[in-house]
Amino acid sequence: MAASVRAQVISLYRALLAESKSFPSYNYRTYAVRRVRDAFRANRKVKDPQAVERLMVEGQQTLALIQRQVSIGKMYETQKNVVED
Amino acid sequence: MAARVLQQCVRTLARPSLRLSAANLAAPSAAPSAAPHRPVSFAADSRRTRWLGLSPVPSVGVLCRQYSDLPPLTLETIKDRVLYVLKLYDKINPENLQTTSHFMKDLGLDSLDQVEIIMAMEDEFGFEIPDGEAEKLMTPEEIVQYIADKKDVYE
Repeated sequence: MAASVRAQVISLYRALLAESKSFPSYNYRTYAVRRVRDAFRANRKVKDPQAVERLMVEGQQTLALIQRQVSIGKMYETQKNVVED
Repeated sequence: MAARVLQQCVRTLARPSLRLSAANLAAPSAAPSAAPHRPVSFAADSRRTRWLGLSPVPSVGVLCRQYSDLPPLTLETIKDRVLYVLKLYDKINPENLQTTSHFMKDLGLDSLDQVEIIMAMEDEFGFEIPDGEAEKLMTPEEIVQYIADKKDVYE
């Protein structure tokens, strides 16, 4: 059971990172990637199954939020920032 | 006047992210400014088209290549690119990095870092690596072998 939970966490992490990288806006993109990394790293040591479940649900809601914001951002794209390459 | 137009063309061509199509767009936009000077404009046009054809290739290399396909992959180039991406990752010490160094045992990374590394490889080589196979790739050597398998590179 723990192995499949671990696999779920890993696939949620991948999905969140992949979705965060598709933000058109430089600021949103860098913030989302950084925040996802920091949140997963901070909760690495959590062992209680209920807490893990709660965090997974929150993660999936965040994934849905990022997907919505990415599609809104793509509708209203602006010029690229100077710091981007 | 023509010299200034040519300087502008060179400056736009020298920017590394410029594609050939965008360079072609720069030519008509520069043309109206050269229009008042009739005798000079023909010379400027021929010089501009000659420069458009020649200058992107030596300065930028692969990005402004005129063919549509990517350069062919070899085991050597795959290994170099994989090691280059790994050296850019800030949690890896470049001195310890070998092709056989295990991410978790030798380099002290964890599974989240391994996910990030595999995603960086996906971005570098431009194709998706599914979850089940991604979590088995634990050394740079395995990554090179996997990419060579997927891309049909001779072994």
